[in-house]
Amino acid sequence: MPANNLLLSSSPSSYTRGDVRKIMLAVIIALMPSTVYGVVLFGVPALGVILVSVFSAVAAEALFRLATKQDPRIGDLSAVVTGLLVALISPPSLPLWMAALGAVAAVIFAKEFFGGLGANPFNPALIGRAILVMSFPAAMTTWHAPFGALTDATTMATPLNVVKLGGSVADVGAGFVERGLASAADYNSMLWTLFVGNRAGCIGESSILLILVGFAFLLALRVVQIVTPLAMVGTTFLLSWLLGMDPVFGVLSGGVVFGAVFMATDYASTPVTPLGKLIFGVGAGAITTIIRRFGGFPEGVTYGILIMNAIAPFLDKLRVKKYGFVPPAKPAKEAGK
Amino acid sequence: MSIKTFKGGAHPPERKHRTEGLPIENVRTVKQVVIPVNQHFGAPIQPLVKVGDVVKRGQKIADADGRMTVPVHASISGTVKKIEPRLQPNNLDGMAIIIESDGSSETAFLPPLDGLSCTKDEALARIREAGIVGMGGAGFPAHVKLAPPPNKPIDLVIANAAECEPYLTIDERMMEEAPGDLVLGMAIVMRALGVSKGVIGLEDNKSHLQGQLESAIASRHYGNGITVQLLKTKYPQGGEKMLITAITGREVPSGGLPMDVGCVVHNVGTFKAIADAFQEGKPLIDRGLTVSGAACKTPKNLMVPVGTLVSDLVPDVIQIDEEAVRRVIFGGPMMGPSLPNWTVPVQKNTSGVLFMDEREAKVYEEGPCIRCGRCMRACSCRLSPALLNNALKANDLDLAEQIGVMDCIECGTCSYVCPSHIQLVQRFRVGKQLVRAKKQKEAQRAGK
Repeated sequence: MPANNLLLSSSPSSYTRGDVRKIMLAVIIALMPSTVYGVVLFGVPALGVILVSVFSAVAAEALFRLATKQDPRIGDLSAVVTGLLVALISPPSLPLWMAALGAVAAVIFAKEFFGGLGANPFNPALIGRAILVMSFPAAMTTWHAPFGALTDATTMATPLNVVKLGGSVADVGAGFVERGLASAADYNSMLWTLFVGNRAGCIGESSILLILVGFAFLLALRVVQIVTPLAMVGTTFLLSWLLGMDPVFGVLSGGVVFGAVFMATDYASTPVTPLGKLIFGVGAGAITTIIRRFGGFPEGVTYGILIMNAIAPFLDKLRVKKYGFVPPAKPAKEAGK
Repeated sequence: MSIKTFKGGAHPPERKHRTEGLPIENVRTVKQVVIPVNQHFGAPIQPLVKVGDVVKRGQKIADADGRMTVPVHASISGTVKKIEPRLQPNNLDGMAIIIESDGSSETAFLPPLDGLSCTKDEALARIREAGIVGMGGAGFPAHVKLAPPPNKPIDLVIANAAECEPYLTIDERMMEEAPGDLVLGMAIVMRALGVSKGVIGLEDNKSHLQGQLESAIASRHYGNGITVQLLKTKYPQGGEKMLITAITGREVPSGGLPMDVGCVVHNVGTFKAIADAFQEGKPLIDRGLTVSGAACKTPKNLMVPVGTLVSDLVPDVIQIDEEAVRRVIFGGPMMGPSLPNWTVPVQKNTSGVLFMDEREAKVYEEGPCIRCGRCMRACSCRLSPALLNNALKANDLDLAEQIGVMDCIECGTCSYVCPSHIQLVQRFRVGKQLVRAKKQKEAQRAGK
């Protein structure tokens, strides 16, 4: 009886064809609308930041794993995702070497030092961004108007900046008209301009519409769950309103939607339990809003998510009750038996 | 009626098309059978025959006293040639009685018994004497399920017709060819338990059988109270707990049995065997199974004597592409064990034999957990497999137990859905053993 060659591993003997690479590819595809639009808005410099960041991330991962004698993991595309995310949350005028530094820091410090794929406690792209903001505050907060050369003449405050510096929401609308980004300065057309993303900001964060397109794609493929983004954006909305800020403006103007969709859904640095995900989203939204309202920065998404990342392992203790859960009998009862 | 289901699960490719429409082929003549003595879940039993004895088809050849025992019968007439350990489908060597056929068709069945008028004790004794075990896979003694303690009232009998494992189609064919036997078997069990309600839980990929089953129920006076419930085609719909939850909404308590929520569940094959044991007095000596897989050139639904070596069916009954075989599975691909060869007997609980080729049997290297949460959503027992895996990797048995490793039904859905192909259920199986060993040690220490 031919007995060679037969596989004898423990069941199951059938496995899904899905793999990590396909998941990462789905995220990259979901990021594409925002990426392409970022290049359209800000031109070649934005493209440069994106390419340099992605390349640096991939190279950093490959070299680190080579140096530490680990198997290369370029094929799973996770470094591409990290590099792309670092670029999309950077300003378009960022010097290329800084973009490279941010991506390398994200991959090496935030990810590989902790064990690589799946083991990073903090979102790598946000760590990369946090390092850049602290090292190069000026470069990381220089914003440019869309559709112009990225020169001093075209710098433009982000909508949140306008408000942080004491401006009103109406001033934002006026600014749009002045720059030719909107045809009217009324409240609704200002919101519409924000929604389609005709504004200054990070390369990938501006168009809420295109972020939602990517989100819908990820939801359809069941790559991400809706709960965290919904909780984060919902909390931002509610708390902005409670703290006397314009909630619609708050949601549409900064990076909260991009962060909620692409950062708060990061597998490794967020809870895996459903209740944990909900609390994570609420916490990230609350911290974001509190920083916007009371903090020194106009935007708080980065720290909102990073702070919640630190709590994620604890949130993982909030497991769903298992099937057929029976509360443990009280010791007194046991003794009586 | 609406289609019901449970939460979680996955939908692996069904691959049932190869054998779906094929009538069950009855294999009457085999030159020998290798009948494992212990084919049930419970206490071991002993051979009643010795080498050289002449036995008849249907004659009891092994038994023992004790509640958790089930006798075994000769499935062909002939001479006992050997009694020795042989490889069983559970990958262990177990004592087996080897009978060489004498070609006669003499039988030694029990006298027929009217299961609808006999006493409860008579019914239970008959089911035990006929050697009936759960035919879905676990081999749990059927009569034990029918004798719940008085403090566990039963109100529902469920026929497990989900057949959620890919490839397998034998239950489907059985229902198509003998729906009346299923109804009779259920009626006998319902009567023995004093239950007035029975449900046939059918996955909706077999919805074409619904009308046929319903008319079989309607045309029999004892079919009263039996209904057909369509279930969503989803693995592991045929898991006993999942089936109960889908149909009744009740959850079997952790560490408990279906009887704790008033249910008795049997596979449709078991009901058919019960019907045979009463109608014909025939013990469980024939087993229907699906032979399939890409490396099987002749996918079939077969009925063979229990103890038939799969290798003896080659090449007259089935043909195998021996070059292409990479994996031989007894049962379905999700839970069935892989065997080192196919000189292995068909047992009472063998629902299929699969010959998988390279593509079907593809194995993957384990990657890092990316915490995507797919296993968490797929686990029908809501056990957080990703976290359980971490606990076991860290050798934290207390945490593993707290998360619920002992509640794992080992369906393998977590391992199936994992994009990193982490050996989740495999690790949980080991984890269960470790927890059991630890508890034993603790009990010993406490006893000292």
